[in-house]
Amino acid sequence: MKAAESTLNLSLEDLYRINQIVLQAKEWKSALDQIARLIRPLFIFDNLVVYLVDPVSKHPETAYARAMGRGKHAEADVSWGETLAAQVCNTGKTSLLEPSEPANTDRLHRPYILGVPLIREDSVLGTIIFIRFGSPPFTEEQVSFSKFLANEITLLIDENRRHERLNELEAQHHIFRLQEDFMSTLSHEIRTPLGFIKGYTTTLLRSDTSWDAKTQREFLQIVDQETDRLQELIDDLLDSARLQSGRMRMNFQVVRLDAVVNDVVMRTRLHHPNLEVILNIDQPLKLIEGDPVRLAQVLQNLLNNAAKYAPGSKVWVNICNVDNGVKIDVIDHGPGIPPQYVPFIFDRFFRNPEQAPNVHGSGLGLFICKQILQAHQGEITVNTTLGIGSTFTVTLKEHIP
Amino acid sequence: MDTRILVVDDEVLYQHLVKVNLEAEGYEVITASNGEEALEMVASKRPDMVILDVMMPRLDGWTTCERIRQFSSVPIIMLTAKGEEQDRVRGLNVGADDYVVKPFSATELVARVRAVLRRAKTSEQVGQNRYFAHGNLKIDFARAEVWKENKPVYLSATEYRLLIQFAQHVGQVLTAEDLLTAIWGPQYSEDKEILWVSIARLRQKLEDNPHSPQHIVTRSGLGYLMPPIEKASL
Repeated sequence: MKAAESTLNLSLEDLYRINQIVLQAKEWKSALDQIARLIRPLFIFDNLVVYLVDPVSKHPETAYARAMGRGKHAEADVSWGETLAAQVCNTGKTSLLEPSEPANTDRLHRPYILGVPLIREDSVLGTIIFIRFGSPPFTEEQVSFSKFLANEITLLIDENRRHERLNELEAQHHIFRLQEDFMSTLSHEIRTPLGFIKGYTTTLLRSDTSWDAKTQREFLQIVDQETDRLQELIDDLLDSARLQSGRMRMNFQVVRLDAVVNDVVMRTRLHHPNLEVILNIDQPLKLIEGDPVRLAQVLQNLLNNAAKYAPGSKVWVNICNVDNGVKIDVIDHGPGIPPQYVPFIFDRFFRNPEQAPNVHGSGLGLFICKQILQAHQGEITVNTTLGIGSTFTVTLKEHIP
Repeated sequence: MDTRILVVDDEVLYQHLVKVNLEAEGYEVITASNGEEALEMVASKRPDMVILDVMMPRLDGWTTCERIRQFSSVPIIMLTAKGEEQDRVRGLNVGADDYVVKPFSATELVARVRAVLRRAKTSEQVGQNRYFAHGNLKIDFARAEVWKENKPVYLSATEYRLLIQFAQHVGQVLTAEDLLTAIWGPQYSEDKEILWVSIARLRQKLEDNPHSPQHIVTRSGLGYLMPPIEKASL
């Protein structure tokens, strides 16, 4: 066996640079790529492999592999250190495997393999394997350096794992928060109309007071309105549950959207006499295929939202033909939606947390719209600017006979 | 004189509901839609009772109640959405006299109002002072503002609450434990250093000479006090 001839030519500056890469790394594999490029002129190896112990099967699995020198073209035919990896992962000890074949065999079949365990808090995460085809053997100094590298890589992998775990937990937490917010929104949304119904009914029922006919009528109208509000809330809840589980049946047919829209706009003018709705329809409008009741529900929802969240603004409903279908824009000049909440407004239960609590809503309306449009293979999007207003755009596919 | 009741709720329909029922009883009813408005009205209209909703945007009912209590002993009934025990305890802790859980019946509300007013009449009425003065220092409790030589002083929430503690106990020595428990909570009662830092900062803002304080004086080994004004001006 040849004596180890090369020693390590690493300077303090190289170590500093490795450390910088580790500190700045977002992801361990790309960091290892950078480190490998940096150290290869100083610490020769041909293949570099990282095996990580699978938490379930406890076997080492390849997580990273680079062929950097000789053997780059040999692909799967050369050694990748599998056997040594299993040994290192089992024992948790650095191991060196030197070739026993005679020096005149192809150097690709005479690998020097160095395996260093990746250990964190007494548990072996995996191993990093350096493979050198042919000479020279690894020196003691190089082995020490590879242990240093293994520590750095371990920190990176551990950091990455913690980060992934944190992201998972955050995602879970987000869902949990949404559900919790929903429960508190829902209980508020149910209690408020119930509170009015209870309050105004018991006011009418007071035995020590008599109310004139006009006042009685006013109280009864409030009770009536609040009953409708509860009814709407319950309908929304049922619809969203059905849509969520895919149990809502759509009654698809050829639809003239202008008829549907005219109908909804007329109803809106009746319900919100102060809301000015301006309707522009491209004629002749393409026919689409859909469930007219559900499409009307979408449009009604958008108009109700405009009345609720953009009070005092006119609302424009523009319908025009586009490639392959029809586009409906519902435009208001209201306060707009804060940009940080825009990605969530179609989520089930989501409500703008900055919304005053006396503007009621269940966080279901836009979710229902989105689900209905998905069932139609259509789309709903929003374009909104604070202080300028919001445009909700619905696109539906053309009916092809 | 008419009994005047302030109704505070962000829902117009609740304001209306309470108003019609109380007016039917012969009370004069004034309304406010949020906490800030309520504080101003308690100070300026001096109602005989406040009915305060808990769920309000910005300044919620709990905080509003606490702030009213800094300058007024007017009877307060909280309207809470939940009937859970922790809410009741919280209401009583911030100085509410009673609470009514939504949804409520009109007769229950009216009965509660009558009962609380009856109790309030038998107990001695304490004056309602919106302003507090100590030497060159003035506090407007309704707006949570502090003035020194007629110039506004900007205090953090903690500093303000600390100052209020002294203003409410003029001439009384307050121990570090008292102050820490009242402002930071019982788990901080041993954490004297944070109190020292806050008092030092408060003195920097309020005192002409923080090394010879007139408003917040140290009683070595005992605690701190705001001395009665004759002594402070000596």
